[in-house]
Amino acid sequence: MSIQTSSPHFDHLIEAGRVHRTLYTDGDIFDLEMSRIFGGTWTFLAHASELPKPNDFVRKRLGKRPVIVTRDRDGNFHGLLNRCTHRGATICRHDEGNARRFTCPYHNWSFTNTGDLAAVPIEDGYGPAFDKQELGLGKLRVESYRGFIFGTFNTELPDLKTHLGPSAALLDEWLDRWPGAELQLRRGQTKFSCAGNWKLIYDNAADGYHPGYSHASLLRMRKDRYGGGVDMQWALGNVDEGLQTVSDCGNGGTFIDQRAEIKRFWDQSAPMPGESAYERVIKEKLGDKADAALDVVMGSGMNLNIFPNLLIIGNQIQVIEPQSVNKTHINWYATALVADDLPDEVNSLRMRLQEDFPSFGEPDDLANFEECQIGLEIEEVEWVQTGRHLDTGKEYIGAKGMLSGPVSDELPLRVFWKEWLKRIEQGNLGVAK
Amino acid sequence: MNTDPMQDGFTLEDILRDTLESTYIDDAYYAKLRNDMQEWEGCGTVLNNEERHAYESLILHENWLLDRRAFEKWYQLYSRECVYWVPAVGDLPDAERADPQRQVTIAFDDRRRLGDRIVWLRTGVAYSQLPPSYTSHVSTAFVRLPSENAGEVKIRSQFLIQEMRAGHEIQTFSGWMGHVFIKEDGVTKIARKVVCLLDAPRNHHNLTFLL
Repeated sequence: MSIQTSSPHFDHLIEAGRVHRTLYTDGDIFDLEMSRIFGGTWTFLAHASELPKPNDFVRKRLGKRPVIVTRDRDGNFHGLLNRCTHRGATICRHDEGNARRFTCPYHNWSFTNTGDLAAVPIEDGYGPAFDKQELGLGKLRVESYRGFIFGTFNTELPDLKTHLGPSAALLDEWLDRWPGAELQLRRGQTKFSCAGNWKLIYDNAADGYHPGYSHASLLRMRKDRYGGGVDMQWALGNVDEGLQTVSDCGNGGTFIDQRAEIKRFWDQSAPMPGESAYERVIKEKLGDKADAALDVVMGSGMNLNIFPNLLIIGNQIQVIEPQSVNKTHINWYATALVADDLPDEVNSLRMRLQEDFPSFGEPDDLANFEECQIGLEIEEVEWVQTGRHLDTGKEYIGAKGMLSGPVSDELPLRVFWKEWLKRIEQGNLGVAK
Repeated sequence: MNTDPMQDGFTLEDILRDTLESTYIDDAYYAKLRNDMQEWEGCGTVLNNEERHAYESLILHENWLLDRRAFEKWYQLYSRECVYWVPAVGDLPDAERADPQRQVTIAFDDRRRLGDRIVWLRTGVAYSQLPPSYTSHVSTAFVRLPSENAGEVKIRSQFLIQEMRAGHEIQTFSGWMGHVFIKEDGVTKIARKVVCLLDAPRNHHNLTFLL
């Protein structure tokens, strides 16, 4: 099959229960995704705790574009294209910092952290037509919801909270596990590189079908060492007879809810270094409230995926950073919970727990994604199946009005492709105001 | 060398029966690791013959066991209260960012998690290790650092590790390691090992083998 990637029409590649392999292997499609999907919809940029003070900034990517996310002196967030309007050099070359202005190292054009061109050396070398007001940095439309900062070029999208739909309420539930606690990033990252297309990662994020198989090593190790009852036991057997569900959050967002399988989070937690010592201290400090505090050490039992690049899994925030059609970076940001009534021992444990799945779970998934990429290069077998539970009558309208299904339902894949098609065909909305 | 890590009889069964509790990682232990990071910055002295015999030999043997994938024997080189620590940050030491109590790491294994890791590698269904990684560890530039902890010996070295998995390009890792040795029941054991990768803050492709 030949693909006319210059055509805006891709619907022949996406059918009710299958999608075409070239969506994962075609470099031209990848380039279109990077301009039309990343930035063509509300796309996660950064978390407010990464830039806590006035004039803080972080350097990020939006598809292939280098961007700077800034907090101005009044606390407002900005998404700036990291590209000098003079000759094209990036103006910010640090991952993070504090700056009121960014000065291009090439000819020292200087921009404010709200994107205005502030100063040009030897300005009298330009004639009367030179207008600094027209030469500010490219800017994204930026909004945040509870610290999650998103950006887009798309002026037609509704405000962020409306766009998030039920995902906003789910984000609330994730954040409010300890009411009043502030979520903090800047606790280090586990950064993976995968020789696979970025969509293989998103495909997996709400895949309740794979854990019993792709994570056989983790499950077997736990059983051999600790017996039953510890961590992820719900992944064994016929998961569709269990209590987990998958849901469509709208606009490409998807959700796995494992919470009904977890009676007591702390008791079912994966093992972690420091467990006994800090459990004792937390119980001494908190008494009756200790059980609730220990429960927020463990992952949330929620996998909330916000199209196209933000995956909230357990206690972590994963950000998908596509590098090329067959290479993806996945950055897992560790998180801490900070509150006056929550002892910091909880975070000493959270750091260790957040190393568990990146050590014993994620690497096996990444190996399988890479093998998918290899298999998908075969031209003669064209299709990828996305039709599980499409016609079994098991889907229903569940919590928050979301279309939901048994956990092995491939509903999340179908949700993703529906949104993908909408965004890839919307034309290039790359307007940097 | 006053230990015999090549002795037979230490098997996966022994690891499965080994400690299932995590009791010794606490505030005092993290404080010790922060102090270690300062001490690693010191000016080292090259090893004398006695120190080479006792410590350099043990590090070289550790490398050999890892390269042979003899994880059960390797595990035996470590003390009962040990840590194997791979920070995820560069520019070490940095008071905030090198602190594992506040930061997530690439690996922070107490004895129990080290056991978990070996059991996990041996399941035969860890697909990130199918095919398995084969490594070549080269260590050099051994120096001894002064330490304020009585009964501990600190040895810093530079390393180069190449890793090969069938079907994948060879990966090269470099950086420095710190080993803290203690005597346990008259035998020299590794109490703490920190592996500081040159590219620690970068994205990594499959770090599931042991450094």
